Amino acid sequence: MAEIGTVSLYLAFIISLYSMTAALLGAKSRRRDLIKSAESGLYVVFFLLTLAAASLVYALLVRDYSLKYVASNTSNDLSATYRVTALWAGQAGSLLLWAWILSIYSALVAWFNRDKRDELIPYVYITLSAISVFFIFLIGFVESPFERLAFTPGDGRGLNPLLQNAYMAIHPVFLYIGFVGLSVPFAFGMGALLSGSLGGGWIRSSRRWTLFAWTFLGLGLLLGARWAYLELGWGGYWAWDPVENAAFMPWLTATAFLHSVMIQEKRGMLKKWNMSLIIITFFLVLFGTFITRSGIISSVHSFAQSDIGPLFLSFIAFVLLFSFSMFLLRQGGLKSEGRFESFLSRESAFLYNNLIFLAAAVSVFLGTIFPIVTEALKGEKILVGPPYFNRVNVPMGLVLILLMGIGPLISWRKASRENFIKNFSYPTVFGALTAAVLLFLGMREVYAVISFSLCAFVTATVAVEFWRGVRVRCRRGENPLLALSRLVSKNRRRYGGYIVHVGFVLIVIGITASSAFVIRKESVLNKGETMTVGKYLLRYDDLRQYTIEAKDVTVASVSVWSGDKSLGVLRPESNLFHYSGNREIDKETEVALRSTIKDDLYIILAGFDSGGRASFRVLVNPMVSWIWAGGVVILIGATFTMWPSALERRQEQAVVYPAEVEGKGTAKT
Amino acid sequence: MLRGKKVIVAIIIVGLTLSYLVYAGVKETMIYYLTISEMIERVPAVYDNKIRVSGNVVPGSIKKELDGRLEFVITDGEHNVEVKYKGVIPDVFRDEVEAIVEGTYTPENVFHADLLLAKCPTKYESTEGLELRKEGYRKKDYEKGVYKPDAPPKGESI
Repeated sequence: MAEIGTVSLYLAFIISLYSMTAALLGAKSRRRDLIKSAESGLYVVFFLLTLAAASLVYALLVRDYSLKYVASNTSNDLSATYRVTALWAGQAGSLLLWAWILSIYSALVAWFNRDKRDELIPYVYITLSAISVFFIFLIGFVESPFERLAFTPGDGRGLNPLLQNAYMAIHPVFLYIGFVGLSVPFAFGMGALLSGSLGGGWIRSSRRWTLFAWTFLGLGLLLGARWAYLELGWGGYWAWDPVENAAFMPWLTATAFLHSVMIQEKRGMLKKWNMSLIIITFFLVLFGTFITRSGIISSVHSFAQSDIGPLFLSFIAFVLLFSFSMFLLRQGGLKSEGRFESFLSRESAFLYNNLIFLAAAVSVFLGTIFPIVTEALKGEKILVGPPYFNRVNVPMGLVLILLMGIGPLISWRKASRENFIKNFSYPTVFGALTAAVLLFLGMREVYAVISFSLCAFVTATVAVEFWRGVRVRCRRGENPLLALSRLVSKNRRRYGGYIVHVGFVLIVIGITASSAFVIRKESVLNKGETMTVGKYLLRYDDLRQYTIEAKDVTVASVSVWSGDKSLGVLRPESNLFHYSGNREIDKETEVALRSTIKDDLYIILAGFDSGGRASFRVLVNPMVSWIWAGGVVILIGATFTMWPSALERRQEQAVVYPAEVEGKGTAKT
Repeated sequence: MLRGKKVIVAIIIVGLTLSYLVYAGVKETMIYYLTISEMIERVPAVYDNKIRVSGNVVPGSIKKELDGRLEFVITDGEHNVEVKYKGVIPDVFRDEVEAIVEGTYTPENVFHADLLLAKCPTKYESTEGLELRKEGYRKKDYEKGVYKPDAPPKGESI
């Protein structure tokens, strides 16, 4: 089976090269057959990489320890599920996953555009194939997942216990679907630059792809946060770790991009800005993959290290150099069709939103590479820690929430006083009222009060929008529920966007509450002793140990009460995996969690001794579940936004053809 | 053009605010990341500042109290430094790993840490150790009577 994998990789490499060349020649000579042939190449690469991925999964499942990758990442006592997820536990496997997902996207792009005779499409194929060539080169020739060992061990080294968690099993896939998906808008941007058809076509064609990738990237971040929360056992979900930052930065710029494309679509402005944003986003995607996989910055998440670093850096440098030179070459075609008429207008609100998202990305980038830069310049490594990131990003985040309330309601071009009073009087009053109530209730944390009242403000603006829309329809005689569903389904982009905003509000509330009002307590208890944390009373009852196939489990039973009400028993674990000393990481802390809408009770079994005494670290984290709920709401909103409505489908069919005849730089669609 | 200028002014304000936030943030939170030798070279100036140091944990030096207090010695091959710490201990932490500690260094050659990170050894992805398993060799320290299902624990407090 492994041979099938290797051969598939080699073939996929050759065919990707072929697709690239054929598309290039086809675009130059305007030969339709060559472009069609390049398109078929993309399908074939998808087939071959599917075969390669399948053969690696097969090897993992049948415990083929003659493969280095299988022996390094699995062991006999690993369950079938985690044998499959081991596909992305190591470097070679996760690069294969990258390439495979890219081939899926490429094939889908080819499929959806098979009948379009758009000038930029062959260049999109070229770009996608070029990226694919690089990644297949890495896994085919540098770091192959199908590399054989000189001997066949009877058992493998096992999977890192930290990775044996349902969230860890799926979160990399989500992140990669997001990461890799951002290559599609990049490829369309490059297609526009290379072909010279610089109208809005590239943005329209890639809008849904961007949204899709962005949604998965965001969900991947949330799932990763949830994994860290459940598995790393320190009570938090975000630590500004370099690898977290690596995934967060492209999300920030992609979010900026999602907003600024609306300005280009509606007003024909910000074209250069959008092109730069998508280039930067793709750069950050590559940089993120590089950081995660090169081990250049020490991080808890860098599970693999190797020598692909220099190759990766050269590729990143090439992508940056090439795309920005193309950008400079073609910038004449990216002239703005409108201009900013007032700094109080929707365009401006979107511009500020973009500036702040980009500023946040820059600040995170600086903080992440700070040790590398200072070491290069001064010979000393200087770090900036979480306080830096919080200090810089919290104020920017608050302004963004404010803009999230203002942006959707402020009028285009120039906002009048009447517009302001009409749209913002209720929300402002509601926000101020929230602040007053919180202050009255004794809340003195400045950031928390500001954050909560801004969230109230945004919620009120969204509510006002929904209410107005429904009211208009009700006047026409529709019943309110019908009116609501028609309102949303007729304007999916707009109202879907509002739902996404509500999801964000939930996340911000969760983050604010859990970072400002967390209670931490540590205690060493004898059996039968109790401790109080916040409103909870905990009694340590018993400590038991037992062995299952993969690990030795030590579990403490803790009875929990809130006031007089018994909440049952929680069981935090501290486990040792059986690796016979081959895996350096064999310990695993399994926290016990009782999650409600109000707060999370989070118990860690930090240690125990032979006398049965145990030490516990307990946290009461308010409103953390709101963060995860926000993720679900974002998913719902994003799905609404992406779902094509009948009207949009008709419009899209109508715009396919004009895009074709767009001349250089004169596009106005 | 007056209106266009206002927008530019807004951009400049955002830019300046960002620069200030980054500058102030870096200034107030930056921490030197030193090797043990670099730290020793900087005595006595180093005593005043919070720093981050990394070194390998000397085997057998780990002393752990149940209440979370932890003492161990880190080395870079030349110098040894004793570390005192209390808090969350990463699952990866054990003899010989690279420990990264953040805190202050005192003239008694003791480092008081308030942050402890542990880095997996680089042989993580290597095939070292697989040799042992050629014949499915498997040794379970745990099964030598230390752990018994459902019996009170007698193991060490890890």
